[in-house]
Parts: sequence; structure tokens; C-alpha cells
Amino acid sequence: MSYALLSAGFLVAALAAAVLLARAAGPRRPRWAAVAVAGVALLLLTAVFDSLMIGLDLFDYAPGLISGMRIGLAPVEDFAYPAAVAVALPALWAALTRRGGVPLGALLTQALVASRPVSWVNTAFPFAAAMLLTTREIDWLLVVGTLYYLVPYNLAMYGINDVFDYESDAKNPRKGGIEGALLAPEYHRPLLRLVLATNLPFLVLLLAAGGPAAWAAIAVSTFAVIAYSAPRLRGKERPVWDSIISSTHFVSPAVVGLALAGAPVDAGVIVLLAAFFLWGMAAHAFGAVQDIIPDREAGIGSIATSFGARRTVRLALALWLLAGLLVLAAPWPAPLAAVVAVPYLLNCAPWRSVPDADSARTNRAWRRFILLNYGSGFIVTLILILAWNSSA
Amino acid sequence: MMPLGYLGCLLLGIACMLLLDRRFRLFFWRDPAAAGLVTAAGTAFLLLWDAAGIASGIFLRGASGFATGIVLAEELPLEEPVFLVFLVLCSMVLYTGAERILDRRRRGRARRRGRA
Repeated sequence: MSYALLSAGFLVAALAAAVLLARAAGPRRPRWAAVAVAGVALLLLTAVFDSLMIGLDLFDYAPGLISGMRIGLAPVEDFAYPAAVAVALPALWAALTRRGGVPLGALLTQALVASRPVSWVNTAFPFAAAMLLTTREIDWLLVVGTLYYLVPYNLAMYGINDVFDYESDAKNPRKGGIEGALLAPEYHRPLLRLVLATNLPFLVLLLAAGGPAAWAAIAVSTFAVIAYSAPRLRGKERPVWDSIISSTHFVSPAVVGLALAGAPVDAGVIVLLAAFFLWGMAAHAFGAVQDIIPDREAGIGSIATSFGARRTVRLALALWLLAGLLVLAAPWPAPLAAVVAVPYLLNCAPWRSVPDADSARTNRAWRRFILLNYGSGFIVTLILILAWNSSA
Repeated sequence: MMPLGYLGCLLLGIACMLLLDRRFRLFFWRDPAAAGLVTAAGTAFLLLWDAAGIASGIFLRGASGFATGIVLAEELPLEEPVFLVFLVLCSMVLYTGAERILDRRRRGRARRRGRA
């Protein structure tokens, strides 16, 4: 592709964004006279400093791909950068600082809380570990993907959930009262916009970097993130399906990482992913037990409200046991991870006969479960390091 | 000192922009959250542009003695993202500054007309 064509593409994208943003800014639209003043000044500065930088040999251009027209030493195509910036950024600034909207600082604080920072590592780690173990090097794709699964992905997952659970959370006196972290309705649309703006660029990059396998994995992952709580789909209110989607949230980043890294799909990988998936389903099912009573009062379905506390706890025990047994079938040193299943079984087993009426008490085990995850993450990391060294 | 020449100039430029920003409360000193988002989005967009140019084989890293020589990715020197942040800050200080001056002139004209 020639530099002229490339720059035209990005310039058009910037102008289109500027038009949309200027419209979104409403009465606080950008002052086009000021845009013109800043634009002319930037173009002049570019002519001077670009020439200087090229003269100092800080960068160069492939001779066959530029038009050859220059202002000073600067190729004319270079002027698309300041032009795009001078038009698009004031429009973005106007849209972000318009009056009447929710305060941006407050929105960002809400978004940070909504993205559950304690859980960031749960999605970023599977991605980074899967990719790093396959490619054995840290490249830009690993960094970009890890950043994506660290923050924007979690903002999408929990943000969409907080917006569309608002109705049911507000209706549910226990949830609304005790948790108190309800997302006020005026933040709903801005938060969804922020989710879109933070996720879309990363998804486009990951899709562009990957092949069909990565596209499929990203499609499944993105669908699961939306389908868990978005209206109509509402996977979280469909028993069993809720546990499956929840587990997909955590396993799919690993699958995306493997696909982007071009890892060979062998039996060992499939067994490990299956074990991880069962572990995730068990975690979701057990977590749902503590909410049986409030969920039923609010008319919300879940795997636990439909199976009852006793059967759900036993199902979770069976899934954890199965996950532990499955890793025994994977190649060395993965079988070591079987030991990780033991604390979960011990933590959950005392509740195997808990009646529905006492299900809220399992919250004690749930809180221990969250601590256990850090311990297991540590053990799994040690096993990964062992795998790294033994395959070197 | 030479290898730090370019990076040093960029950081100095950024510092100057921030001083102007602070003195006249233009950008970060007016709305830190919005300014942070504009800077992040602008830099990310320009980095994508660079990446596409590098992937197409258009941009090549120079052999200047004024660069640190540290590269973040193929043909992407450490200085480039710093330059992009500077470009974003410079544009926004220019824009918000121009807006301020134009507003002041318009208000001045309106006041003179009101008196006449």
C-alpha cells in the first residue's frame, strides 16, 4: 500500500469521527475557527520540524511507496497526521466536556468500580500465559491482548451486567440495600458507550492480527460477554447455560491467546481447556448458591434456584473433582495441577447437604473461595514455569 | 548525551506544553479526566497509523545518532510514542488557546458595541 493511500484512509476515519463527535457534543460543538487556527499552526510546525527530524535521519521512508512530493524535506503525506489530529481531537474534547452530560471523572470512577479490578487478572492471566507459553516471547500482540483482557474486556463483561441488572437489582431489596453499588440510570448509556469505545479498537486489532481460529475464539468470547446479561439473551437467568457462559468468560481468553499464537491443537491442550472449563462452571454454580433466596424472591432464575442448594453444591463438587481427574490425563507437568482441586473440594464439601433456607451461609465458603483462587493461581503459575523450563 | 538528544527535546517540549496548559488552565488543568482520555485516544490512534505504515513497509527507522536506539517493535523507536504524545498535547494547547483568544476578542467586540 502506498503512503498516500494509507494516510487518506486514516484521515477519512479521523474526519468521520470528528463529524460524529461534533454532533454528539451538541451545543458545546468545537469552535471551527479555533480548529483552523490550530490546524494552520500545526501544519507550519510540521513543515519545519518534520524537515529537521528527517534531516537528522531520525526516520526514513521506503522510496517506492511515497509520492515524492515534499515540502521542505517532509513528504506531503506526513501532513495528514497534524490535519487529522487538529480536526478530530477538538471534536473529541468538545464531546467529552459538554455540559449536561454526566461528569466524566465520576463516569470513569464508576467504570473502574464496575470493571472489578480484583478480577482483572482472572482474564488477563489465561490469555498471557497461553500466548507466552506458545510463542515464548513478549511481542506487541501479547502486550496489546493482555491489556485488553486486563481492563476493557472486564469493563464490558461487568459493565453490561451492571447496566442490565439494574432493574432486577433495584427490585431486589436485599441486593440494592446491602451492595449499594447500583449504577444510577443516567450513567447507563455513557457507560455502554465507554464499553464500546474501549473494546472496539482492541477487538479490531486482535481480529486483524489473527486468522480464522482467532476470529472464531474472539466471536465466542465477545458473544459470551454480551449474552450473559444483555436483554433478551440474559444467559445468566437460564439455568446451566448461566454456568457455561460464565466459564466461557474465563476460558475464552486462553483460547484466543492460543489461536493468536498459532498453537497446535493437540489432545493435551484440549484436556487442559476442558478441565479449566469444568472448574469455571463449578465456581459459577457454587457462587450462585448463596443467592438462592434473594434470587427467588426477585423472580430471577439461576442454576442454583432451579437445582436447589443441595444438588448445586454436589454438582459443583462433581465438576471440581472431574476437573482434577482430567488434568491427570494431560502431559507432564500438568497433572501436578490436580492438587489444586483439593482445597476447593474441602472448602465446598461441608455444604453438600445445605438446605435452601440456609444457602446464604455458603457465603463464608465463597469468600474463602476467592482467597483460594489466589493460592491456586500461584500454584498454576509455578507449574507453568516448570512447563516452560522443561520444554526449553 | 547525543543519543538522548531527540528524546530530551521531546520531553522538554512536553514539559513546555504542560507549563502553558497550567498557566492558562487550558487542557489538563481544566478537565483532567477529559484531557487524559483525549491524550490516550489520540496517541493510540496515531500509534495505529504508525503501525499500519510500518506493516506496509513505508516507515523505516533512521540511523540518527540523536536517537537512543531503543526499539519497542520492529522499526518503532522508543521516541515515537513520546513524539505522538507531544503532537497531541501541542495540538490541544494550540486549539484550546486559540479558542480562548477568539472568545476573548469576540467578547471585547461585543462590549465595545454595547458601549457605542
